[in-house]
Amino acid sequence: MSVQTAAATRGESQAEKKERTDKIDYKMVTFSLAGKEYGIDIMNVKEIARAGRFTYVPNSAPFVRGVYNLRGDIISVIDLRTMFHLPAERKQDDALESLLILRVEDHVFGVIVDNIDKVVGVSSSGIQPPHPIFGDINVKYIKGIIENQSKLYIILNVEKLFAPKKAKEDAELGRLAAVAPVAMQASPEEDAYGNGRPQASADITADFIKETLFSFRNFGVSSVNERWFDERYAEWKASRKATDLQLKEQTEADQFLDSFHSPFSGELWSEDYIERVMTALPTLQGKMITVWNPGCSKGYETYSFACAIKRAYPEARLKIWANDSDLLAISMAPNMVFMVDHVPEVYRDYMIKGRNGWTFIQSLRESIFFEFHDVLNSNPVPPVDIVLCRDTVSFMSVADQKRLLSEFNEKVKSGGALILGSKEDMPFEGWRRTPGDGASVYIKGA
Amino acid sequence: MRVEYINPFVESAFNVMKEVLQSEVKRGELYLKSTSMPVMGVAAIVGLAGGVEGRVLFDMDRPTALKIASAMNGEELTTMDDLVKATITELANMITAQAVTKLHELGFRFDLTPPAIFTGDNMEVSNQDVEALIVPMDTVHGKVEINVAIREGRNGGLHED
Repeated sequence: MSVQTAAATRGESQAEKKERTDKIDYKMVTFSLAGKEYGIDIMNVKEIARAGRFTYVPNSAPFVRGVYNLRGDIISVIDLRTMFHLPAERKQDDALESLLILRVEDHVFGVIVDNIDKVVGVSSSGIQPPHPIFGDINVKYIKGIIENQSKLYIILNVEKLFAPKKAKEDAELGRLAAVAPVAMQASPEEDAYGNGRPQASADITADFIKETLFSFRNFGVSSVNERWFDERYAEWKASRKATDLQLKEQTEADQFLDSFHSPFSGELWSEDYIERVMTALPTLQGKMITVWNPGCSKGYETYSFACAIKRAYPEARLKIWANDSDLLAISMAPNMVFMVDHVPEVYRDYMIKGRNGWTFIQSLRESIFFEFHDVLNSNPVPPVDIVLCRDTVSFMSVADQKRLLSEFNEKVKSGGALILGSKEDMPFEGWRRTPGDGASVYIKGA
Repeated sequence: MRVEYINPFVESAFNVMKEVLQSEVKRGELYLKSTSMPVMGVAAIVGLAGGVEGRVLFDMDRPTALKIASAMNGEELTTMDDLVKATITELANMITAQAVTKLHELGFRFDLTPPAIFTGDNMEVSNQDVEALIVPMDTVHGKVEINVAIREGRNGGLHED
């Protein structure tokens, strides 16, 4: 840390005055990329090193230079310049590169930069939010900007950049595929799903928005919701200034997603909406009706749908597997209590007054299994007549969406139905959409 | 895993551990896992069959097991002998039994297998197609992880005629 004290005592009058009033509570390792100065929180930097001769790993993303043996630990090495599409001088094969060894949670890896400078201590209150029109690097990877000794440093958000999540990497790859033509070899499998299309890469802002939607809200733009996204993006562009198109924080992502949500999310369906869904559904035969409801959240749609089925098929036995990976939400579901004013007339027949308010009758509750379960793990649900899954598929990575949809494809009996969110589409073949605008209802094998 | 199953296990684990250890116990954040996972060193397993089927696994490292067994027996135990193993088995039995009693009261009917205990290094438990609920418990003696993988049996878990 001697560098930092030296820097502080060097005594440039303005800077000094400013620094005396502020507390130095943020230290960062600074380095340069293509002539610009950057910083990374020192807590994420394990050490610095000079190294070369990285072992090339075939079929890895273009920004992965290979792996390196750091005193017995194999770490992967990422070239930040390639990652950010910055020019990098091509060194000779055995030349040494400047390497920052970073630690993010439990993961250790190296990043190559042009030059490592020094450790700079600053006051975290002086860090300013990134400006949305920084060209080279997507705004969400930047923690902020800080001035120190009349130099501007861009502080990178390492956690965001290298979150140790597979899904994250997928998104990263997707973005690179969109920007850098080198990585644009969509597999035939992807083509079948419809996302291997040459992304309209002319519109980089749209790509950024897609990416930020995923990192803020885990919303994966794919053929499931593309129709909505294109419309919404056009609307968004029309309503905002060109410099203000990117989503900089979660609230903006929510704002963007505002029009995505299906009617009656998080509340009981109205009688009219029940009518609309039921007319879109095929007529069900058989004494037993089975429903799988992944992503049921607090259970409002599960109960609504259960009542709808009971009303239409009073004789049939109903069984619903409803699951959600949000423990808090799903814990409330089995014993939901309502105030009578909040309950539409249509549900009254299936409710009973208890001590604290109105609850659904025992026989209805017994027909629903609420489970704390992640649909991305294996789903032990038997083949079902109906899958009810509104606004759930969209909130996962594109690869996971595909996996879950093919599971629906398998689990729904022939002639059965899949109900997606009102803005979602079923991209698989062999499904017919029934008319009606409230919900997207698809019938299998019709 | 059905929501109704979760609380009995969390509650009884919390109550029993607090009682036998006579000290503070903290419950960590619950989460789901379906991949194979490492076993810390000592694992007691109880099987369930009937209306609800699956298994419950109690996992801790060796020093924790020794300390817990010491605390439960009221004497200092330093080697992984039969007494320690029997004590950990008993702990697993107590927790599972209390949870099962609660589930019985809710109308779920099933049987238990006697607990079995495994010790060793570098062990791993994997049943790929079953999702497990992990209940981490922090005791003064170390971390104990309760790994619950159960689902309703053929008749849906509820007692039906």
